[in-house]
Amino acid sequence: MLSDWSYTVSLIILASAAFATRVSGATLMSRVTPGPKVERFLEGLSVSVIAALVASGLAAGSGVSWAAVSAALVAMALSRSVVWAMLAGLICAIALRHALGL
Amino acid sequence: MWGYILTVTMVSQESVAEPRRVAVSRRGILIGIRRLLPICVFVVPFGIAFGVAAVAGGLGPLQATGMSLFVFTATAQFAALEFLRDPVAFVSLGLVALSLSARHIIMGAALSAWVNQLPLGRRLAILFFLSDANFADTQGSMREGSPDLGPLLGGGLALWATWAASTAAGAFGGRIFGDTEAYGFGSLMLCFFAATALGMVRGSHGLIWPVVAASAVAIMTLPLLPTGWNILLAAVLGGLISVATHAE
Repeated sequence: MLSDWSYTVSLIILASAAFATRVSGATLMSRVTPGPKVERFLEGLSVSVIAALVASGLAAGSGVSWAAVSAALVAMALSRSVVWAMLAGLICAIALRHALGL
Repeated sequence: MWGYILTVTMVSQESVAEPRRVAVSRRGILIGIRRLLPICVFVVPFGIAFGVAAVAGGLGPLQATGMSLFVFTATAQFAALEFLRDPVAFVSLGLVALSLSARHIIMGAALSAWVNQLPLGRRLAILFFLSDANFADTQGSMREGSPDLGPLLGGGLALWATWAASTAAGAFGGRIFGDTEAYGFGSLMLCFFAATALGMVRGSHGLIWPVVAASAVAIMTLPLLPTGWNILLAAVLGGLISVATHAE
C-alpha cells in the first residue's frame, strides 16, 4: 500500500512530466520561424510518430496483433474508413483468439 | 454516432496550407467529440484494465482515478504502477514518465503553427488534452489549413473523460470485468494508428519513405533504447527523410 504522501508526490511528478512534454514542443517552436523545410520535417514527423507506435506495438505484440493490424489495413485500403478498419481488426482478433483457444 | 465515419487524413499532404487565423469554436469542439466517440468506445477496456491493475497494485480507487484525471497518458500510467510502492524511486519514476511521454514533444511541435497563435492560457489548456488519437484525427484538417482547433480540444476532452470514467469503473468495479484482453481489444489502438498512417500515406506518396524508415528504426532500437525513446528517434529520422525526399 502506498502512503498518501508518496502518492501525492508521485502524482505531481507524473502529471508534471506528462504536461511538460505536451507543452514543450510548441514552446520550442515559438522561437523558430518555420519555413518550407521545417513544415516538411514536421509533416514527416507526424506520420513517423504514428508509424513508429504501430511498429513498436507489433514488435512487442503477438501474432494476433499482426493479423488484426493486417485486417485493419486491408479494410482501410478498401473502405477509407478508420472505423471499418478498427472493426475489421477487432473481429479478426476475437476470431483468432477463439480459434487458438487463447 | 457511427454514421460520423472517421475518414482521417485523406488530404493531399503535398501542399501544406498556411493556417488562417486560429480559433477554438464550440462547433469544432462538438465535431471533435463526435469524431472521437467511436475511438472512445475502444478506450473503455483500456481504462477499465488500468483501474483494475492500479487497485491490484496497491492504489485506492480514488487514487487510480485521480491519476487518470491529472496524468492522462496510458502508457506512462501503466509503467508507473511498477514504481508505486514505498519507498518510491521518484527520480526513476519521473524519467520513465518523461521518456514514455516524449512523443508528445514531437506532436506539440507539429501543431505549433496553430496552437502558438492562441493566448497562453488557451494554448496550455488545449495541449493538456493532446493525445495520440486526437492528434492523429486532426492531422488531415490541420494540414489542409483549417484554422479551428476545436476538433483537437473536443476529441481530447472526449478521450480524457472516457479514460477517467473507465478507470473509475475498473477501480471501483474490481474484478467483475475479468480479462479485457479476452475481448480482443488489445490490438485496437494499433489498428487505429495503422489505418491513420495508411490514410496519410495515401494522401502523399512522398510520406512512404519516412513511414518505412521510422517503422524499421523503431523496431531495431526497441530492445536497445529505454522504452519510448525509440519512438522519438524514429520520428526525428522520419522527419529528416521527409525533408530529403522532398528536396529531390
